[in-house]
Amino acid sequence: MDSTIKDFEAAIAELETIVKKLEEGDLALEKSLELYERGVQLSRFCHTRLEEAEKRIEILNERGDLRPAGQMFSKDEK
Amino acid sequence: MSSQFDLFGTPEPELEQEPEPARASAASARERQRTVLSVSDLTANIRGILENAYSEVWIEAEISNCRLWNTGHLYFTLKDPGAQIKAVMFKSDVRSLKFKPEDGLHVVVRGRISVYEPKGEYQIVCERMEPHGLGALQLAFDQLKRRLQAEGLFDATRKRALPSLPRKIGIVTSLDGAAIRDIIKVLGRRYPNAHLVIRPARVQGEGAAAEVARGIRDIVAVAGIDVVIVGRGGGSIEDLWAFNDEGVARAIAASPVPIISAVGHEVDFTIADFAADVRAPTPSAAAEIVVARKEDFCNHIERLSQRLTGAVRGSVARLESRVHVLNRRPGFAGWSARLALRGRHCAETTYALRHAARSSVSRRLRAFQALRLQLDQYDLRRRLGSVRARLVGVDGTLRAAAMHRHHAAEARLQNCAARLDSLSPLAVLGRGYAVVWDDTRTRVVRRASEVARGDGVRITLSEGELTCQVVKTDGLDN
Repeated sequence: MDSTIKDFEAAIAELETIVKKLEEGDLALEKSLELYERGVQLSRFCHTRLEEAEKRIEILNERGDLRPAGQMFSKDEK
Repeated sequence: MSSQFDLFGTPEPELEQEPEPARASAASARERQRTVLSVSDLTANIRGILENAYSEVWIEAEISNCRLWNTGHLYFTLKDPGAQIKAVMFKSDVRSLKFKPEDGLHVVVRGRISVYEPKGEYQIVCERMEPHGLGALQLAFDQLKRRLQAEGLFDATRKRALPSLPRKIGIVTSLDGAAIRDIIKVLGRRYPNAHLVIRPARVQGEGAAAEVARGIRDIVAVAGIDVVIVGRGGGSIEDLWAFNDEGVARAIAASPVPIISAVGHEVDFTIADFAADVRAPTPSAAAEIVVARKEDFCNHIERLSQRLTGAVRGSVARLESRVHVLNRRPGFAGWSARLALRGRHCAETTYALRHAARSSVSRRLRAFQALRLQLDQYDLRRRLGSVRARLVGVDGTLRAAAMHRHHAAEARLQNCAARLDSLSPLAVLGRGYAVVWDDTRTRVVRRASEVARGDGVRITLSEGELTCQVVKTDGLDN
């Protein structure tokens, strides 16, 4: 998505820093807009990642192959 | 003969003390029945007797001199205050031990007596061993826990934080157990888009520990797995034993991703619990922990997003109001007019500056030209000519003047000479006058009284001089 964002933990840490800076005020308008833009980017990244994963259950067998679990747990899904 | 027995400090054989007749008859009886055995035969007999009589014995004793050979067999001594017996436990039985035999440990063993013929030794071959009092499993647990703890495997500093949002959640457990269903139920309800990877492993019985350990090692190698749940549902201490295994503990400790242990709640803690980054009391609880992290994360992002927008709105509003306030400050009112004024002033200054620069240059140019002219007039060659002409003129004049002065001087000299001639006393002498000097010729003698009779005088004539002596003085002035 964005090569400047490493992972969630990094994204959220950066987002926290940005919010803190913005809340402290005393920033030039341009700087605060720049930070805001970055903040929106980060929060969008987090939201997207939250939603983009889809439910999936896989089985890792002894040979190291990954297979979908299929109907094995379907009755538990209700 | 007796002295030899003395040598060993042993009492003399009782036989020696038997009465003579009895001794003789007994001896003759023995003579008749005498069968001579080899050491091997005897030992074989003993072995047969002992091994038959003690094919299964239980002994309670303390372990000492315990040593595990690299063949895998365990050699030790079993003792109580009164006696001791050598003991061995073969590799296959050592492997099934749940705890580690140590010196000083009080144990109950089951075994059989065997004789080692080459050395004539008997020993007990142990097949089972359990700690006396404490259960074997409990002892093994305590031993392993103590050892891994000393190694630092359970240190709090080793514990890693769980990821907020795992890309994939690994699960190592049995596919048949309740654990996997419990985990899927919780995640299905509260983390619907979770991506699970399950590594099936038997969680009880022989070989279960090795399967769990390998399962952990395998699953942490799957790309994208950020957290692993290892566990099973509740059971007896024996059922849970795989999670008290050293191999499992080490696989957990070596994992590059955080591990949540989730072993049913019958015992307080398993070794796996101590080694794990997070301990959940049940598999459901483990799933809840993962979900809670995710929900915390979502809420956190939500709050941060709101704060972000709020902060920027606030910041923009603050800046706006500042602009507004500044706009209305009196000092700001004539700002553009002042700016225009400054602009004009600037233009004017520029013009003046340029003008000044230009006029300064032309003024200097003029001065230069004047100076140049003057310089031309002072041209050295021209001046040299005129100097030379003047010098020639002056020279002529000087020479004329000198000549003139010379002639005048000559005339004056002749005049003076003529006049001097007329005044010369010598001219008077020419007319017959003479001058009388004293004899030193320094003083002219004007009166006769100035000399006495006999004095020498000199008389200068017109031509020549006389040296005379006064004969007589005659005062005319008297």
